[in-house]
Amino acid sequence: MARYWYEPLSYSEWFKRIFSFLNIALFLLTAIFFISEFRFDWFEKLVGSYLVSTNEVRPETGAIWEIGKQTTNAHESLKTMVNKNEDIRQTANAAGSFSELVSGLLPGEWVTLERQQFKTLYLSLEKSSSLKIIDPASLVWLLNGSDLDRIFCEGIKGGIKIFFIDRENRVIKEIELQKEDIIEIENADKPLAGILTDIAGFRDRIYPARIFFDALLKLPAEIIPDLIVNPEALLEQEGKLIRVGIFNEAVNGYIKLGFEFEAPGGEQVVFLKGREWAVWQLSLNLKGEAK
Amino acid sequence: MNLFLRAIAILRFCFYVGLILVSLGSLSGMFLVFYIAKDLPKLPSPLSKIIETPQTQIYASTGQILIHLGERQAVSLDMVSKNFINAILATEDHLFFKHRGINKLRTLKALYITLTSPSGKVEGASTITQQLAKNLFFSFKKTYARKFKELLVSLQIEASSTKEEILQTYINQIHFGAGAQGVEKAAQVFFGKTALDLTLPEAALLAGLPKSPTNYNPFRHYDLALKRRDIVLNRMVQAGFISDAEARQAMLAKPELQHEQSDSRTGSYFLDALIRELISKYGEDVVYHGGIKIYATLDTRLQSYAQQSLKKGLENLDAMMGITDGAADHPQGAIVAIDTGSGAVKAMIGGRDYYESEFNRAVKSRRQPGSGFKPFLYYTALKDLGFHPATVMTDKPVLIPVKGAADWEPKNFSKTFTGRIILKKALTESVNTVAAQMVEKVGPDAVVRTAKTCGIESPLQEVYSVALGTSNVTPFEMAAAFSVFATLGVKHEPFLFWRVEDAYGRIIFEHIVQEKRVLDPSITYQLVDMMKSVIDTGSGKSIRQLGFHRAAAGKTGTTDNFNDAWFTGFTPTLCVSVWTGFDKERKLLDRNNIGITGGRGAAPIWADFMMNAVNSDPERDFPIPDNVHFETVDAVTGCPPDGQGEGREQMSVPLKTEQQLCRDEQ
Repeated sequence: MARYWYEPLSYSEWFKRIFSFLNIALFLLTAIFFISEFRFDWFEKLVGSYLVSTNEVRPETGAIWEIGKQTTNAHESLKTMVNKNEDIRQTANAAGSFSELVSGLLPGEWVTLERQQFKTLYLSLEKSSSLKIIDPASLVWLLNGSDLDRIFCEGIKGGIKIFFIDRENRVIKEIELQKEDIIEIENADKPLAGILTDIAGFRDRIYPARIFFDALLKLPAEIIPDLIVNPEALLEQEGKLIRVGIFNEAVNGYIKLGFEFEAPGGEQVVFLKGREWAVWQLSLNLKGEAK
Repeated sequence: MNLFLRAIAILRFCFYVGLILVSLGSLSGMFLVFYIAKDLPKLPSPLSKIIETPQTQIYASTGQILIHLGERQAVSLDMVSKNFINAILATEDHLFFKHRGINKLRTLKALYITLTSPSGKVEGASTITQQLAKNLFFSFKKTYARKFKELLVSLQIEASSTKEEILQTYINQIHFGAGAQGVEKAAQVFFGKTALDLTLPEAALLAGLPKSPTNYNPFRHYDLALKRRDIVLNRMVQAGFISDAEARQAMLAKPELQHEQSDSRTGSYFLDALIRELISKYGEDVVYHGGIKIYATLDTRLQSYAQQSLKKGLENLDAMMGITDGAADHPQGAIVAIDTGSGAVKAMIGGRDYYESEFNRAVKSRRQPGSGFKPFLYYTALKDLGFHPATVMTDKPVLIPVKGAADWEPKNFSKTFTGRIILKKALTESVNTVAAQMVEKVGPDAVVRTAKTCGIESPLQEVYSVALGTSNVTPFEMAAAFSVFATLGVKHEPFLFWRVEDAYGRIIFEHIVQEKRVLDPSITYQLVDMMKSVIDTGSGKSIRQLGFHRAAAGKTGTTDNFNDAWFTGFTPTLCVSVWTGFDKERKLLDRNNIGITGGRGAAPIWADFMMNAVNSDPERDFPIPDNVHFETVDAVTGCPPDGQGEGREQMSVPLKTEQQLCRDEQ
């Protein structure tokens, strides 16, 4: 049933219609809406609360987050550097040999080596070989008598540099070690498969074992320990001793001796180092024996 | 009746249309909120976290903190003057504590003005919260979308933070100009005090700056800043924060600005060079945001002396040249001091006034060293030709043919020729013709090699004239290279920092002082002895006249056209290079139109600096190598005095054991 709107016919009709319940309610609601908003800011609170609830899933964008990212990047870079340094430090101070130390340091990398660790690495070398790194007297002075503050190792191409540094960061002593030299030093007393005549430097000074030992045993007893400084390697070697060679060059006051064994697995040469002057005495005896 | 009815009808229509529009607006607003919300930036919690970036600190070798980098000196509200808080509230948002992020009436008014203004003027109505939202997350591009997002973020800020937190964050991040961000930094930059100590006139001045930091920069536009300050004070009166009388009294005050550090730039050529090196090594993020600690080589005492000496020296140069204060162009200068025993750079000034020109002439300006380069030639000649300080040469006109170019015909500074002369005398007097003859003998390539061995890194041309300093070098290089002479041939790489640590004190980098012998000590000693003579009786004798009497050696340098005046010299412990000249092509000429030499322009600066710098050090001379002994010779014959050359100068010369006198080399 349709009801058509008609114009009120009197003022009272108008009045009634204007102030009808519906109009008053609508007006009041609208007024309350606006007044309450101005009074209580509920719209702001509502939207604000909604945004707070979605905060965690929103992107970290904007100028201030960029600065935050730069800080994060900086911290990550620093953390990487510090961790790398720490790894290197641990590796270096746990190294069992100089070659392990060299392997753990790439060019440009550095580490502060504990004094005790340096001593341990140094003492692990065979006495005559350790001279090639630093002579014991200098080391004693550096470690116990000088103004040494710390030992600093830096990786270089193909090796390392070891700096002995005082409190003012000045280098008191600097040693450069190439990896191949270190390996040679460390393997100086390791047996080598083969025979003496194949090793350059021994040729023309190779003697049958009997002649060699006859000449050796004729030397005064106090000289013999200087000829065979570390007999352990010889004693540990299996097989029969066939020939002995004397190297044609002295290094740091020592001359290399090669002992050729006929071992079950083939010929092996064991190297020892004798003091130069003792080897010289021995050579004189050998010449006599040879005659 | 009809009129009444029509009015009722219009009213009714408007009401319903309004209602519909408001409803639609609300609905679309809600939709927009949901739609845009997902792209809004996330807010950090707590809000203050955003200003907690760690500072990188640079320390001097003497222990003082030189600078904080990436600094945001956040302070809590109770560490800020109440005057400032009131001033900023009165200026920016006096109803801050009453609204929830937006000032609705002000926004409606602004909207009305914006929409109805015929000029298209955009009326601002941002609250402090909205400004904070804008500063933290949004660009300054004015778009309605950005405005709406900014409004939403400000609602969230209000919903998640207290008013105090918002205000604190706001005052710690607003820009006041001159590089000052945050009120604490601003208080320090402009007034050299903490934010807590700001007086009412100072606080009002600061509070007026964020509106336009450049236009109201008090360092440049003090009067405008004061006018703005007065507006702030009036608003404080209107907001009821202060009385009218207090405002009037404050308006009479003229806050004194701190000019020492007029902005957040480093203010130091040394720090600029250091930071550049750090950035190249670690990147900007680590340097500015990593919170690292750098222990620089700078000695603040020496740096201060260097600053004073250079300032004084350049002012004297102004006076000598008749240049007045208001002149457009003043001579510039640079000074670098290096510890000879380590290579540590102890002081570096790269110009007359950092705030006028940040160009670091100490490390960036390559200029011809003139005769200052001769020591490299002399060392080469002593070494390669077996010369010694008593070797006799002839000061005579020289014409040296140059392949593919015009003959080289160097002239002496004095335009005269003295005939036979020993090398020591020739270097002392800086005789060019003797140097030319020597470079012809040793070859320019050998001289270049020596210079490079000593640490000159700038490209050097292998031409004869290189020996007379025609290839450009920096004062930094000269100081580094001459310090090799000071150590009698031991080279230390120059460096700017000893150590870098992270925020927890873990070492990231450490400089190890490595010595490298690059020159023969005996020959270098002979050279040093000749260079001592330069200071004692030669072109650098002004140093002795000015009262510096310690053992020192050096060499003056002046370019042919008087564009550059140098003095580089050293004691056994400190090597210092001083350069003066104009940035542009302009001669250093005094009032009488006479050229200013290194001895007149640069040596006095060197002397003034050294007198202060080494004042407290024990006196010591250069050590004489074991195989060196001294002989007295006739400065003309190079032989021991035989009584025939009466009145002729005699000189004491160092000779190596195997060297003999009276062997004429020509």
